[in-house]
Amino acid sequence: MALSRRATIKDTRLLGLCATSFLLATGPIMVQAQESGAAEPVTATATAAADGQTEGQREAAEGARQLAAGEADEPIILNAPKPDARRVYVQDPAHFAAITQQFVIDGSTGQVLGMTDGGFLPQPVTAEDGSFFAQASTVFSRIARGTRTDYIEVFDPETFLPTADIELPKDARFLVGTYQWMNALTPDNKTFLFYQFSPAPSVGVVDLENQQFARMLDVPDCYHIFPASPTVFYMNCRDGSLARVDFSGEEPQVTNTEVFHTEEELLINHPAYSMRVGRLVWPTYTGKIFQMDLTAEAAKFREPIEALTEAERAEGWRPGGWQQTAYHRQSDRIFLLVDQRDEWRHKTASRFVVVLNAATGERLAKFEMGHEIDSINVSQDAEPLLYGLSSGTQTLHVYDAGSGEELRSVNQLGRGPQVLLTHDMES
Amino acid sequence: MNFPTKSRSVLAALMLAAFSGTGAFAADTITVPSEAAVPVAEVPADAIIVNIEKMKYDQPELKVKTGDTVYWINKEVMPHNVAFKKGVVGDEPFKGEMLKKDQAYSITFNEAGSYEYHCTPHPFMRATVIVE
Ligand SMILES: [Cu+2]
Repeated sequence: MALSRRATIKDTRLLGLCATSFLLATGPIMVQAQESGAAEPVTATATAAADGQTEGQREAAEGARQLAAGEADEPIILNAPKPDARRVYVQDPAHFAAITQQFVIDGSTGQVLGMTDGGFLPQPVTAEDGSFFAQASTVFSRIARGTRTDYIEVFDPETFLPTADIELPKDARFLVGTYQWMNALTPDNKTFLFYQFSPAPSVGVVDLENQQFARMLDVPDCYHIFPASPTVFYMNCRDGSLARVDFSGEEPQVTNTEVFHTEEELLINHPAYSMRVGRLVWPTYTGKIFQMDLTAEAAKFREPIEALTEAERAEGWRPGGWQQTAYHRQSDRIFLLVDQRDEWRHKTASRFVVVLNAATGERLAKFEMGHEIDSINVSQDAEPLLYGLSSGTQTLHVYDAGSGEELRSVNQLGRGPQVLLTHDMES
Repeated sequence: MNFPTKSRSVLAALMLAAFSGTGAFAADTITVPSEAAVPVAEVPADAIIVNIEKMKYDQPELKVKTGDTVYWINKEVMPHNVAFKKGVVGDEPFKGEMLKKDQAYSITFNEAGSYEYHCTPHPFMRATVIVE
């Protein structure tokens, strides 16, 4: 079996990966590998690397070549390659199952690089600079009952070994369908912030540097967490304003912005937020998009834009799905999942993505995705990939974000994958 | 399933109720005359009442005397309750039964103090009983 030369021996945890990618290969591959191996063993690797070969085919050919060359099989633990802007994390809440999984994928090749286990409705986060990823998770002493433990887990991005395990106070986590921004890292990656719904709205502060829970902050009736500095974050409040929370002092200082939307304008649970530039992109059920620029000092509101034309809205076009919004920082583009649907089917999958100039609201493209897509995100490099995730088929579809052309797909991603995270590490 | 969040005073009240048929138990911060919600028709005519409607308790700050019993009446179909965070009426949090429309729930306040409460599924619904 082919193993990467950069691999190092750690423990047995990642051994299964190699077998997994090998098994994903389909029937005829072995024949092809044997043929090329038998006919031309020296050039087998080059042949396998040619376009049109699957990863399973490439590995089969490489394995055949090694066998033919008399190389011994040395089973080892692989490391994942260093994180890059095209790495994508696929979180699978598994329809509220007691345990869950996250798949870490190279968007450039569509290869699963590794996996992490989680408990009940874990909330994943990724450091923008690629230095680590983490999750807030929940386990019970008897699978789904018994003593409950909430905790934060930090992972090394190459070995995937946990580097921190920080216990949270009793029942501190908000157990809810996974919303990307219900938890967040501060921009300096030193603090993990998580939301608590009951008995009262509050935000938990976890000190990642010293690997300990710090305190709960009392906040108004507001939801989600959008950090703008190491000690300032914003939330969206029931009254229609944003709250700015400064927790540099002993008592959190809370100030509210103006009310920026009416009670009839329903903001979805999945806004896009670029922490690198502080841009918050927040669609409503109808596709009206509010944008704010968040700094440590204040929130600046932009003129709202409409993602859908008047004609489209008249024909029943509306946003819908789970993670419906993506924002590409460098090109200042907004991506939104849309389709024709009833007003109250806002969580069903969509088959189209509209692309907008965030500055002008101008429509740049409307892609037909070719699949029932529930969640989208984009890589933050200069030639971004558009990720489209189908919970129903447990498949990640990878598109060129410029043309909308589907490049590749990754299947068998758990039971009901829903959330896509990346690293914004390309300057 | 309420057991993990019941305050000791309620458990005590329940036990007393089981043995003597009365919920009175004056030694605790609060006493709950009936653990279950009761029909609004059973609320005494001269009762101190907090109505719940349109996602609000109609008296954000209610002042009563030590020993007074306060009745909460839900006037709408949206279920609501009365709950205290831990440390307010005892070491453990307290969670009252959910009230459907036209149901009532009462609590007797045995000690002076300020008692902030909220609705369990609606944490933004908050109010205070001040006992003098
Ligand atoms: Cu309520």
